[in-house]
Amino acid sequence: MQHHTRHRWGAVLAALTLAVGASACGEDEEKAGGGTASTPPAESSAPAEKFPADTTMGKIQKKGEITIGVKYDVPPFGFKNTSTGEIEGFDIDFGKAVADALGVKPKYIEAISDNRIPFITEGTADLILSTMTINEERVMEINFTDPYFIAKGRILQKKGGDVGGVEDLAGKRVCTALGSTYEETLKKEAPKAELRLVDTYSECLELVQNGGVDAVSTDDVILTGMIIQDDSLELVKGEELTVEPYGGGLKKGDEAFTEFLNGVLDKYKSDGRWKAAYEKWLGQYTGEDAEPPTETLEDVVPKS
Amino acid sequence: MINVLTENLDDFAAGLWVTTRLVAGSFVVALVLGTLVAALRVADTRTLRRLGTVYVEIFRNVPLLVLLFIAFPGVLRGGVEISPWTAGIIALGVYTSAYVAEVLRSGVAAVSAGQLEAGLSLGLTRLAVLRRIVLPQAFRTVIGPLGSITIAMVKNSAIVGASIVALPDILKEARIVNSNTFQTTEAFFWAAVCYLLITVTVTVVFRGLETRYAIRR
Repeated sequence: MQHHTRHRWGAVLAALTLAVGASACGEDEEKAGGGTASTPPAESSAPAEKFPADTTMGKIQKKGEITIGVKYDVPPFGFKNTSTGEIEGFDIDFGKAVADALGVKPKYIEAISDNRIPFITEGTADLILSTMTINEERVMEINFTDPYFIAKGRILQKKGGDVGGVEDLAGKRVCTALGSTYEETLKKEAPKAELRLVDTYSECLELVQNGGVDAVSTDDVILTGMIIQDDSLELVKGEELTVEPYGGGLKKGDEAFTEFLNGVLDKYKSDGRWKAAYEKWLGQYTGEDAEPPTETLEDVVPKS
Repeated sequence: MINVLTENLDDFAAGLWVTTRLVAGSFVVALVLGTLVAALRVADTRTLRRLGTVYVEIFRNVPLLVLLFIAFPGVLRGGVEISPWTAGIIALGVYTSAYVAEVLRSGVAAVSAGQLEAGLSLGLTRLAVLRRIVLPQAFRTVIGPLGSITIAMVKNSAIVGASIVALPDILKEARIVNSNTFQTTEAFFWAAVCYLLITVTVTVVFRGLETRYAIRR
């Protein structure tokens, strides 16, 4: 298993650097079951509960599939495995758990930072699992599940770079995604930095690799994904910039669906699937252990 | 509606200024390169004409977004330090210059061959005839089409900001406003107004040039 995952990272690197040699990683034989099938220890597919037709759950069951907006270029949360063409990652594993609980098929569409919320408000996606931080402004626009992951805001640079903390970013060229929380964080914490706002984090990786920017700032886990692909990069040590609780996003006011998703999440956290996904996508690279987050939405964004 | 503009006026103004500088720079690049390439295309040596044709066909037939990815990360990866400004202005300018060259060539074709012969028989070199007699008339013939190309260039500049070059232009600022306020329609409405400010100015300037200098045929 470990071996295969290594191969997949190789493939992601190949894709992100636009290299053509991606087919070198072709010996991936676990294509059956759609690449995301390896979610251990899944409960044997007990028939899903049938929901009334007027609920979101019922409508999804009638459609037979749930449309989930995920990242396509942010390993290890959501990324395209170039040898199988499947979308994989931590967010995708949780998406599969949601689909299983409804007894439907998951359909993944790409949701970049800037279009995640419109996808929900316009109904393009039923659910967004796209490394999306829960914050007060977004809570006004959409509903969130309880946090399913807690990330920390950090800075990445080339090894040997001279950034020691956020205070050193003045005058430096810093990349982050348009529409991410870091747009505002950086404007506040490093007002003198020259911000480069792009659509996807793969563009930030490209830019920091070839010297187009001096640093990238975003969630530690996204930055770790970049370091796994390119070990000439490093995280800047020191205190984290921000704490970023990831939540699933869904239509504003759909409390029944929110409650359902939180139920799925509770089960996912308690039956070992969360830890298995963590180990598979992050733990084996960072060497760190983690427990599922215990915070609820209320803890993160207190209701006024 | 109006409050999205007034509360984010500095963002929109900054974007307007960035777009204006970008298109001004690209316009100069496009005009200079376009004239040179048009001259190549009407040269009397076949190799030079071929060279001009290859230039026009390459830059007219490759999407601007692809050019931008070559002009910025591609050049950086080749080890050449290039700023987003330089990359953006060159890419948009070169792309537009192919269209300028095509239009100018048609303008040159509209100048009667007799003038060229007259110039040559007076002892002027071919280049001098082109520069002093043919091209000035060619420009005056194609003022209208040049205006259309310039307007298209202003609109194409939005692609520069949306690409990896990521200049904070009108569209980018509008998207930032949108991501902060979630007022999608309003943010992009005001972006459209900003673009109109530039394109209408371009239209007025070119109309002025046309009434003053155009040769009607």
